Amino acid sequence: MATDQLSTTFAALADPTRRAILARLSHGEATVNELAEPFPMTVQAVSKHLKVLERAGLIARGRTAQLRPSRLQGDPLGEAAGWLDEYRAFWEDGFDKLREHLARG
Amino acid sequence: MAEAPAAHVIEIARVYPAPREAVWAAWTDPAQIAGWWGKRGWRTPPESVEIDLRPGGVFRLDSVSEADGTVMRHDGVFRAVEPPGRLAFGTAGSEATVTFADVGVGRTEMVFRVELTTTDAIRRRAENGLGSAFDRLGEQLRTGEQA
Repeated sequence: MATDQLSTTFAALADPTRRAILARLSHGEATVNELAEPFPMTVQAVSKHLKVLERAGLIARGRTAQLRPSRLQGDPLGEAAGWLDEYRAFWEDGFDKLREHLARG
Repeated sequence: MAEAPAAHVIEIARVYPAPREAVWAAWTDPAQIAGWWGKRGWRTPPESVEIDLRPGGVFRLDSVSEADGTVMRHDGVFRAVEPPGRLAFGTAGSEATVTFADVGVGRTEMVFRVELTTTDAIRRRAENGLGSAFDRLGEQLRTGEQA
């Protein structure tokens, strides 16, 4: 994945509403009206979030003119999570080694 | 259900059977930090470690892959140096704080919190040869999609 795409993905994931939308879509596809239901915001505002998610490659939207149901695209989200897993593993490994270091001391 | 991941903050806590002065020293003494820093399979040459332990002071150290000799350089600047309770530092793309709390005789709870301000830090690490394991969440999500 190009680095610009990765930055776009992270920027999209930085917003809690967009993460909640992704969590909802992990259950299956949904229309913008269905997605807007649990949020105290307008359908237009949710629609804006969907555009950001779509640009980031995190979701795809159907071509049906009226409904355009959204569904998850797993690859960019998995890749972004992979970066973070690697980053966390770097520190977790170090802190396990720190325990062994302290035991030697 | 696959929760969407939080993108920008990672927190890791550990309790060590050592007084916090000892944990503090392990973090701040150049000879000691080379003994534990970094991922398994990577070592830190003691001569690569430079630590100017004061707010605004810089630190620098290398991780060298035992598998292929790839060198990953880490550098940053200390934001806060408050022995033996709190250390804060920034690197390109991240701001980290580590606290050391006394939780009983000779026991220390260490809490490490890092905020990723850009993706530069993790991207650089990956490019430097840490490799990647990108598939797990993608797999979960694909499974969820079919259900």
